[in-house]
Amino acid sequence: MNSDPIFELRRVTQQFGHFLALDDINLQIYPGERVALVGSSGAGKSTLLRLLNGTLLPNRGEVWALGKNLSRLSSRQLRRVQRQIGTIYQQFQLVDSLRVIHNVNAGHLGRWSFWRAALSLVYPLEVKTAAAALHRVGIPEKLYARTDQLSGGQQQRVAIARVLVQDPPVVLADEPVSSLDPALSQEVMSLLRTLVQESGKTLVTSLHSVELARNHCDRIIGLRNGRILFDAPPASVSAEMIDALYRLKE
Amino acid sequence: MDQPLSRPSPLNQRAIWGLVAFGAIALSLYQAGLFQRDWLNLGGLSQLGRFFQASVQPDLSPEFLRLTLNAIVVTLAYAVCGTCLSLLFGLVGGVLVSEVWWQSVFPRQAKQRSIWLTIRAGLAIPRAIHELIWGLFLINIFGLDPLVAIVAIAIPYGAIVAKVFSEILDETPRQPLMALLSSGVAPLTAFTYSLLPQAFLDLLSYSFYRFECSIRSAAVLGIIGAGGLGYQILLSLQSLRYEQLWTLFYALFVLNGTVDLTSAVLRHRLGSPSRLDLNLRRDNRSKSQKLEELRDGYSTSSDGQESHPTQNAADQVSMLKQQRQPRDRGVMVAGLGAVLLIPFCFWYVSADFSKLWSPRTMQLLADITQSSLPPNFDGEQLPQLLALSWQTLAMSILAIAAAGIGGILLSFPAAHNFFLPGGLLNPTQSSRLGCLLAWGMLLLTRSVLLIARAVPAPIWALVALFVLFPGILPGAIALGLHNLGILGRLMAEVAENLDQRPLLALKAQGTPASLVFLYGVLPTTMTRFLAYILYRWEVCMRETVIVGLVGAGGLGRLLTEQLSSFDYSSVIVTLSSFVVLTFIVDWVSGRMRRSLR
Amino acid sequence: MKRTLLSALLVLMLPLAACSPGSETASSPQDSVAQPFVTGAIPDQDPEKLQRLYSKLADYLEAELGVPVEYQPVTDYTAAVTAFRVGDLDMVWFGGLTGVQARLQVEGSEAIAQRDIDADFHSVFIANKNTGIAPLNDLNELTNLKGRTFTFGSESSTSGRLMPQYFLEQAGVSLEDFRGEVGFSQSHDATIQLVEAGTYEVGVLNEQVWKSRVEAGDIDLSKVDVIWRSPAYFDYHWVINPQVKERYGEDFVEQVQAALLKLDPNVPEQKEILELFGANQFIETENSNYQQIEDVGRAIGKIQ
Repeated sequence: MNSDPIFELRRVTQQFGHFLALDDINLQIYPGERVALVGSSGAGKSTLLRLLNGTLLPNRGEVWALGKNLSRLSSRQLRRVQRQIGTIYQQFQLVDSLRVIHNVNAGHLGRWSFWRAALSLVYPLEVKTAAAALHRVGIPEKLYARTDQLSGGQQQRVAIARVLVQDPPVVLADEPVSSLDPALSQEVMSLLRTLVQESGKTLVTSLHSVELARNHCDRIIGLRNGRILFDAPPASVSAEMIDALYRLKE
Repeated sequence: MDQPLSRPSPLNQRAIWGLVAFGAIALSLYQAGLFQRDWLNLGGLSQLGRFFQASVQPDLSPEFLRLTLNAIVVTLAYAVCGTCLSLLFGLVGGVLVSEVWWQSVFPRQAKQRSIWLTIRAGLAIPRAIHELIWGLFLINIFGLDPLVAIVAIAIPYGAIVAKVFSEILDETPRQPLMALLSSGVAPLTAFTYSLLPQAFLDLLSYSFYRFECSIRSAAVLGIIGAGGLGYQILLSLQSLRYEQLWTLFYALFVLNGTVDLTSAVLRHRLGSPSRLDLNLRRDNRSKSQKLEELRDGYSTSSDGQESHPTQNAADQVSMLKQQRQPRDRGVMVAGLGAVLLIPFCFWYVSADFSKLWSPRTMQLLADITQSSLPPNFDGEQLPQLLALSWQTLAMSILAIAAAGIGGILLSFPAAHNFFLPGGLLNPTQSSRLGCLLAWGMLLLTRSVLLIARAVPAPIWALVALFVLFPGILPGAIALGLHNLGILGRLMAEVAENLDQRPLLALKAQGTPASLVFLYGVLPTTMTRFLAYILYRWEVCMRETVIVGLVGAGGLGRLLTEQLSSFDYSSVIVTLSSFVVLTFIVDWVSGRMRRSLR
Repeated sequence: MKRTLLSALLVLMLPLAACSPGSETASSPQDSVAQPFVTGAIPDQDPEKLQRLYSKLADYLEAELGVPVEYQPVTDYTAAVTAFRVGDLDMVWFGGLTGVQARLQVEGSEAIAQRDIDADFHSVFIANKNTGIAPLNDLNELTNLKGRTFTFGSESSTSGRLMPQYFLEQAGVSLEDFRGEVGFSQSHDATIQLVEAGTYEVGVLNEQVWKSRVEAGDIDLSKVDVIWRSPAYFDYHWVINPQVKERYGEDFVEQVQAALLKLDPNVPEQKEILELFGANQFIETENSNYQQIEDVGRAIGKIQ
């Protein structure tokens, strides 16, 4: 690893009331890596992802993303960093009542001026880019459909298309497939992985399935009770390590 | 790569209705004479000034305060009684006119459908007529009795409640009902064991909203023979004692504000955060299903328990949990309060319910029926009636357009999740000044909305008339202001109950606040907003009757003239025109709402 | 007993309830033993005062007549006439037109008393000074008002609508001759304010109200002033329902009339009542005095 890390956590602690979500985490993620975060509910996966995309600032410690300490940025500077980070969510988090094209075009919003964005709502702009993105995720025919008329799998594809349009060097994904059935999960994960690999993007995703993590990622971080239990390539992650991760009691 | 799909035609149903709406507004503005003549009268600024100046020096003399306090109790009592009665009418009527009832009772007879549709349409008749007109009519048969005011509220409100209740029932999932019916349970029993408890929360929160409306109505019904804020306001208005008027307005603010607040807290505790759920697309899933889903969402993504998206889910889960065990102390106290308050109000008002069926009432009813038949109508009146109907319609269109636009603009600063620190559109990290400013703005807009809805429309009409030349415009502005207060509050609630997750997703990718608003907030709220606006349009039309003093009241003016001439056979004709207008408005607003889905 | 218990409970819970349910709300018509003599009034001038004076008048009448007297507040002309018709109001202080409307709907009812000034009542036409309308010399000059905007007071007001409309028609001015629709400001005071503001160029109202507002200094005479004083006509009067004879005896109407006429400006308490009515004293009147009003009412459609 010769380049600078794209994300770096320095002694990060995150607390919600009495609940310790992350406890003194140190972590570096480098460009081009595909990182899976695994662990049981409440282990700190979502919190970690929210720290990485700047929607949450740590109680203690520093989060560096793309060379910037997120806690030190003005909101304008923070937005500039956030444009470099795309996020995909479990519940898709699309605007239901808009047509698909607008949800895909929402990927441009970090760059577009207000008037350009407003105009596009009336007369969709950059249709070709959007159509190309939808084509890549396999639902080109849904360009002008209403988003709430799509199935769950299709909606997740729209969310991925939005990130494609945003074209950030880093993609974060928070349980991207846990709302989908197993077959569809495989498909969507493959899609996500291909898209990331093709353009050399970095991927950080939380996954509930270790199987998916092994198949699609080149680094697995096991989180338990807010601490990193292991951080290793898939090949070195043993069944014992997984057992320890999900064991009910210490 | 294949050719991208061709763009869908921009002339879809929605766009067409949008054009129709713009056309209607433009035509109404033309009718208001906005383009042909002066409409602003700066000569009245000093009168306007005097009116608002009095707001800082209300009449606080002990006698007047005592009178005001008494009037508050009277108004509250009338509103409670009126609401109870209208809910009673509404519940019975709502079940009877619901599609699901007809389908359960007459499962196989298709021709029953036309009967059902007729009955349902018939509800437009009581709704078309303003409370005040009902009051004047009821004096004719009940005489001077508190009953007049109560029934005057209960008739139109009962019809509205019936309409809304039937819609709620029709949109409630039917599987449990069908299961009961297919096992041979009688329809009424089946209803009480399935649909009614399922829809209970929706029905209850709508009832709260009705109560808030009743308070406003009780404050307009000054003709009732028992005092109350409406009566006192009318008295002070007629001799233009602004200081007294403002004392009474403040009393109305307090009353309205307290009721709004209590109902909001209660609804929240009960887990039904919206007072009027005009949900356009009620997904046909039962609440328990939703609960399961929310729990799933909760357990799989609850690493940070206070993280925003999950907090939303957590909130909802806890709300739904509470809903399962409604043994909340606040709710208990409120329930007990209602149990005591309702009989107290009926006792306090002491309406003579025996008058509902007494021989004298029947005699008087026969008298008035006789004097209003046959309707005094011939073809020559038709052009006049049409012109006046159009005036009424134009005023209602302008009023609702003004109220709608104003409501939308004010709803966001009035909602607590937008500009406050941590809010969706709060641009900066919270400095103390910014925080103070945001809170100041929230309180200010909320007070503006409260004042707008608490002050009765006829008062706004007089105030508008100070600075505008007579015509449709001051009337529209008066009704617009009053309804703006109501719509703004309803819309702020929609904004507060918004699904935040898509917006946070936009925010997380570095979208500036203005664009989060444009791509996230507007599309998710706008359909609901428009539904509220369309729903309220009908009310605006009915209310044109009470702003007749603006010199262009359309049918309302004609009606007051005929009523004061005791020309009942002509009154019937004018009222029929109102009913026809209500049908039209109902139909158009139904079509537009459907096209929004 | 139950009722007392209940209310005691509620008083504990609701401090608001401390202001006791006034007797005016609890009129139970069942106990016909001491059925009260119910009076009412249409507020037209100083409704605020009118409400207060009524309790004094009710006390006075109760003492004079020896029957319970009750005051029913009503704020609407139409409602008052209707209540009189159905028999819920026994005696009402009506305006000229409403008095006639009420009498026509209740056979045998009588006008029994009026104020001294009501026999010689006038309306005043007022105009905003910016219009430059010069004072009118006689009725025929009302034609000068053609093309102006104009407002009446309330629809049923005699001085603020009926008689002015009559005089206008005498001069050959119809309502269509005004610019825009004619307004109905709903009260004399509102008429003054709206003409002063310039919303309407010309308005018409009860002279008594105008005078008392001028005296009180409420009016900016540099902005609005009288342009014409109408000829005299009869206005406000007491109308009594014949049903009281059955209830309290044949001579009850005369008793009431006597009690009203007896009000003496030299007795301080009675002077107060008279002052609140704006009268020096009450004088006798009769139905025939209002024939002109009835004719005018029929002519312009207020009486069908």
